[in-house]
Amino acid sequence: MSFLFGQRPQPSSAEKIAAAEAEVEMVSDMFNRLSDSCHRKCVPADYREGELNKGESVCLDRCASKFFDVNIKVSEKMQSQAAAGGGAGGMGAMGGI
Amino acid sequence: MQEQRELQSRLEKKQMKDFMGVYSRLVQRCFDDCVNDFTSKSLLPKEEGCIMRCVDKYFKGTERLQTRFQELNAQMVQQGNALPGR
Repeated sequence: MSFLFGQRPQPSSAEKIAAAEAEVEMVSDMFNRLSDSCHRKCVPADYREGELNKGESVCLDRCASKFFDVNIKVSEKMQSQAAAGGGAGGMGAMGGI
Repeated sequence: MQEQRELQSRLEKKQMKDFMGVYSRLVQRCFDDCVNDFTSKSLLPKEEGCIMRCVDKYFKGTERLQTRFQELNAQMVQQGNALPGR
C-alpha cells in the first residue's frame, strides 16, 4: 500500500489515515463477500470429510476468478453508464474516493 | 511515525472485529448445516463430528481463497483495472 503515502499535494494526517482505512475496509469487505459466496456455491453442506476435495478446490479457484471478473464487468458497465450521463446508479452509488 | 501508529491501532481494532465476525459466521453456518435433530438436548456425536469437519473445511477453503484473492488482486492492480472507489 506504499502508493497511499506517495507524493501528492500533502493531505492532512487524518485524511491519510481515513484513506488508508477505507482502502483496507474495501478490500476486506470484498474478500468477505467473495468468501461467503464461493463457500456457499462450492462446498456442499454434507461434511463427510474435513479436507477440501479436488472438485471443491477447483470450484473455489474458479469462483474467486469469476467473482473478480464480475466486479470488473459491473464496474465498467457502471462507468460507461455514468459517462453516458445515465445518472441513476452512476457515480452517486460509487461513494468515490 | 504518528500516522503509522494511529493506523496500526485502528487496524488492530478492525482485526479483532473481523475475528469475531468469522467466529459468529462459522457458528451460524456449522449450526445450520450440521444440527437438525432436536430429539435430544445435547449435541449428538455425529453432529459434533460434522461441526469439526465443517470448521476444518471452512478454514481450508478460506486459506485457499485468500491465496487466490491476493493473486487476482495483484493482477488487477497491475493491469490498472481499478474498481470504483480506488
